[in-house]
Amino acid sequence: MARVGVFVCFCGANIAGVIDVPAVVQEAKKIKEVKISIEYKYLCSDPGQQIIREAIVQNRLTSVVVAACSPRMHEKTFRKALLDAGMNPYLLEIANIREHSSWVHQKDKKAATEKASDLIRMAVAKSIANEQLHEISVPVTKRALVIGGGIAGIQAALDIADARIPVTLVEKSPSIGGRMAQLDETFPTLDCSQCILTPKMVDVASHPYIELIPYSEVIELQGYVGNYKAKIKKKASYVDFSSCTGCGACTQKCPVKVPNEFNMNIDKRKAIYTPFPQAVPNKPVIDAEHCTMLLKGKCGICAKVCEKGSINFKMVDEVIEREIGAVVIATGYDLWDPKPYEEYGVGRYKDIITSLEFERMVSASGPTNGVPVRPSDGKVPKNVVFIKCIGSRDEAKGIEYCSKICCMYTAKHAILLHHKVPDSHAYIFYMDIRAAGKGYEEFVKRAQVETAATYLRGRVSKIYKKGDKLMVRGEDAQIGQVVEVEADLVVLATAVIAPKDNPALARLLGVSYDKYGYISEAHPKLRPVETAKAGIFLAGCTQAPKDIPDTVAQASACAAKVCGLFAGDTMKKDPMISTINNEFCSGCLNCIKVCPYQAIVTEEIPLGHGSKEIRTVAKINEGVCQGCGSCVAICRSMAISLAGFTDPQIINEIVAI
Amino acid sequence: MDYSKKIQEIASKLFADNKINYFVGYKQNSFDDSQVPFLITDPAEIPKLVFTDRSVFNLANYLKPDHTKRKRVGLVVKGCDSRALNLMLTESQVKRENIYIIGICCEGVLNEKGEKAQNCVECVMPDPVVYDEMIGSPTGKREYTINADIRELATKALEERADYFESIFENCIRCNACRHSCPLCYCAKCCIDQETSTLYHGANTSSGAMHALMTWSLHLAGRCVDCRNCEKACPSHLPLHLLHKQNESVIYENFQQHLAGMEKDDRGAFYKYSLSDPDDFIL
Ligand SMILES: Cc1cc2nc3c(=O)[nH]c(=O)nc-3n(C[C@H](O)[C@H](O)[C@H](O)COP(=O)(O)OP(=O)(O)OC[C@H]3O[C@@H](n4cnc5c(N)ncnc54)[C@H](O)[C@@H]3O)c2cc1C
Ligand code: SF4
Ligand code: SF4
Ligand code: SF4
Ligand code: SF4
Ligand code: SF4
Ligand code: SF4
Repeated sequence: MARVGVFVCFCGANIAGVIDVPAVVQEAKKIKEVKISIEYKYLCSDPGQQIIREAIVQNRLTSVVVAACSPRMHEKTFRKALLDAGMNPYLLEIANIREHSSWVHQKDKKAATEKASDLIRMAVAKSIANEQLHEISVPVTKRALVIGGGIAGIQAALDIADARIPVTLVEKSPSIGGRMAQLDETFPTLDCSQCILTPKMVDVASHPYIELIPYSEVIELQGYVGNYKAKIKKKASYVDFSSCTGCGACTQKCPVKVPNEFNMNIDKRKAIYTPFPQAVPNKPVIDAEHCTMLLKGKCGICAKVCEKGSINFKMVDEVIEREIGAVVIATGYDLWDPKPYEEYGVGRYKDIITSLEFERMVSASGPTNGVPVRPSDGKVPKNVVFIKCIGSRDEAKGIEYCSKICCMYTAKHAILLHHKVPDSHAYIFYMDIRAAGKGYEEFVKRAQVETAATYLRGRVSKIYKKGDKLMVRGEDAQIGQVVEVEADLVVLATAVIAPKDNPALARLLGVSYDKYGYISEAHPKLRPVETAKAGIFLAGCTQAPKDIPDTVAQASACAAKVCGLFAGDTMKKDPMISTINNEFCSGCLNCIKVCPYQAIVTEEIPLGHGSKEIRTVAKINEGVCQGCGSCVAICRSMAISLAGFTDPQIINEIVAI
Repeated sequence: MDYSKKIQEIASKLFADNKINYFVGYKQNSFDDSQVPFLITDPAEIPKLVFTDRSVFNLANYLKPDHTKRKRVGLVVKGCDSRALNLMLTESQVKRENIYIIGICCEGVLNEKGEKAQNCVECVMPDPVVYDEMIGSPTGKREYTINADIRELATKALEERADYFESIFENCIRCNACRHSCPLCYCAKCCIDQETSTLYHGANTSSGAMHALMTWSLHLAGRCVDCRNCEKACPSHLPLHLLHKQNESVIYENFQQHLAGMEKDDRGAFYKYSLSDPDDFIL
């Protein structure tokens, strides 16, 4: 005979302010299996848990119902209390009378009280059918895969490797560094981006626990937390990195010139190139789309000048495999193409550029040697108009969200402009100035005072050409008037967007992404560095726009998570997963189609007892299954059962109301 | 429509070339002008094979379960039958290489009164959608119309409609003939028969029948091809098509005009998981 204990929490006024807790406690006493029903102010507190522990022992309870907040908050806490009292923790059932009743029915106390009683009745009925479950233990492969070698990936890789856990860092482009390598000086302290970044890049290359695989992409991931297998495609670089010394003779002599993407296409690079002087690894690659030797079989100069004979035009893409236990996604961001801003003359007027183009120009190592110039005539601009929120906070043309970093880097650009061209003047059109962050407001103030930049609050409605100037017409909302500024150069702070390959990568990894293409975190507040898939973490702008301090912090948090995961030789896993009774399985394989975690595979079993004939049925990999229940719902034959949510348990709940 | 000769020829050839172990077709009934399904292993019986507008049954039903996993079968299908077969193929119930499909471009079959059957009047696809050999000339896909009975039901008051369905549940004797006659009810152990499925217990109560028939019809929602094999099998002569056609019309309207079994690899409206689905709901 079942002996159930019911514990109802006041949660201060959170629950008791709406629900008549003593009445609910009395109501629960009427259920015949309930042996004890009591209330307490804060059950999650230590004395609260003590009450539960004592009641379990004294009343020889067979299951426990805690009527309190969402199981997401304290299920673990109360399971622990059961365990400490010598009871299987999965005999706990939570009735969520806070989020599901007191919070949502604040205006109707009577109905909220009745609903709380119903929820408890259901929980009691379910708990009676609950079974003892035991954590699953799975082995772990202690190696992490970091995807993306921007500052996020670099930091995560270094921190994990410093804990003596091997890391494989896969970077799509020929060099690590990401966007940060393209920046000049960085807010809020104006230290030089390269100077703080390159030492870390070098550390990555020389770290004994890091395997850097540049110019590559992850093309497949199979398995489950602690036991993934990744396939990595190494794109043909046509240069043998093991013999190449990075002398640069080849890049110097290559006759083919191609727009230089690292410098935002402001100048040209060669068909064989290293993206920038401090690149890591500092080895060139051949751009197969432009090399005339690869395209037409003509040239081959690089091969002739290379003393080491490192050039190999016959090189092909190679696929390698790595066994890993955890993944960190750090694929960064892209920038929005401002083409839809036709009224600004984007595309028509050469002297409208984007912030990253400006960033490259003011960079000492950039294509214009650190001096901003007008693309149309090469002259140094005097009046520069910066326009913020291009594509950001713009539902009509761009995206809804705020890109977060543009306010700050535009203030930085005003300062940099002032440093490089002291007699210049900056005009900044803005919607708001968002400068929340340590030293950020001070930094914006500094820009305003130091540069005397004119901040104009309002949108720009039109840009047109007058002689060789650009006339920027906008609104100054503070004086309520239309203003016109004569500009030599216009800089657009274009929105930060998710890399366009993110959705494809997310699907390949089996993690979710949001409507913008950013990788989704498991919980926006409490699990911000985990994805919903166990063992896959995320860092940096791949999740949402971020500045460098936030990116680095998140990357280090990822490293801590990975180290935690790898702390033991085996891993504990929640036992609330699905299993298939293959006797009932008809092999329709619908479950495989709906499983979002690719946890289901096929299996061949004998047709009958001792039969030599086989039939194909479905089978769930317990390491991968996350217990989402999709397969349970889709299986017509009811061959699948989800531990902790079995049919008898659910039916009991339904019958109870 | 009399393709008896043609089918006999094909069957003879299949047996002669050792392409099949069984042939499933139709045979004349001995006591009236109706026909029954006819499974032969001996070529000597080939002359008994017939096909006319009395060949009402859906022979795909005889492929379940796992017959074709071991033996090769020659099979006659009409338009609707072929759609059910398509689903069985998609759902891995039959091996394509083990069946030889003779698809008939159907002109409609007759009901007991000798009139053209209602499902044939409303048929959306009389031509076979999967076949090895086609008989007759295809006339193509037709426009979908909401079933006449469902249209009529829709004009009635809610209680009246409820009564209508209630009358089905009340008169059901739980013999399960409907399920056994449906080619798409091939489950190793039907959920309704499982010990844990307490909802379906209470054998002959109308609530037990309601749960069982509702579950059954939901398992066929988006899959039922309107062959009406189930209805023909029901000893209580219950209008089971009402359950299926009601679901079908709702699905047609809400799931991009989905019709069951028309395309290869289509698992039916409820069984689609597309990677382009918005994927932001898993917490
Ligand atoms: C104009 C401008 C100025 C800025 N100024 C500042 C500043 O002053 N201070 C500041 O704090 N922040 C600044 N930022 C923000 C800063 O650039 C970002 O915070 C930082 O670069 C984020 O790092 P990340 O590693 O997340 O992304 P990224 O730097 O974008 O790195 C991502 C890396 O992943 C690689 N990658 C992408 N997809 C794949 C794939 N599928 N497989 C393998 N590799 C892949 C990319 O090639 C890249 O190397 C500025 C941004 C802009 C646009
Ligand atoms: S959905 Fe059910 S019957 Fe179909 S393969 Fe999966 S477990 Fe088997
Ligand atoms: S419960 Fe089923 S669908 Fe969900 S992850 Fe597990 S196997 Fe996949
Ligand atoms: S429903 Fe269509 S294919 Fe089926 S028997 Fe009638 S007319 Fe023929
Ligand atoms: S009713 Fe459902 S479970 Fe039963 S045989 Fe048909 S499809 Fe399978
Ligand atoms: S439910 Fe009836 S009409 Fe529908 S496919 Fe099955 S047997 Fe045919
Ligand atoms: S065939 Fe008719 S009587 Fe038999 S179970 Fe089905 S609906 Fe009920």
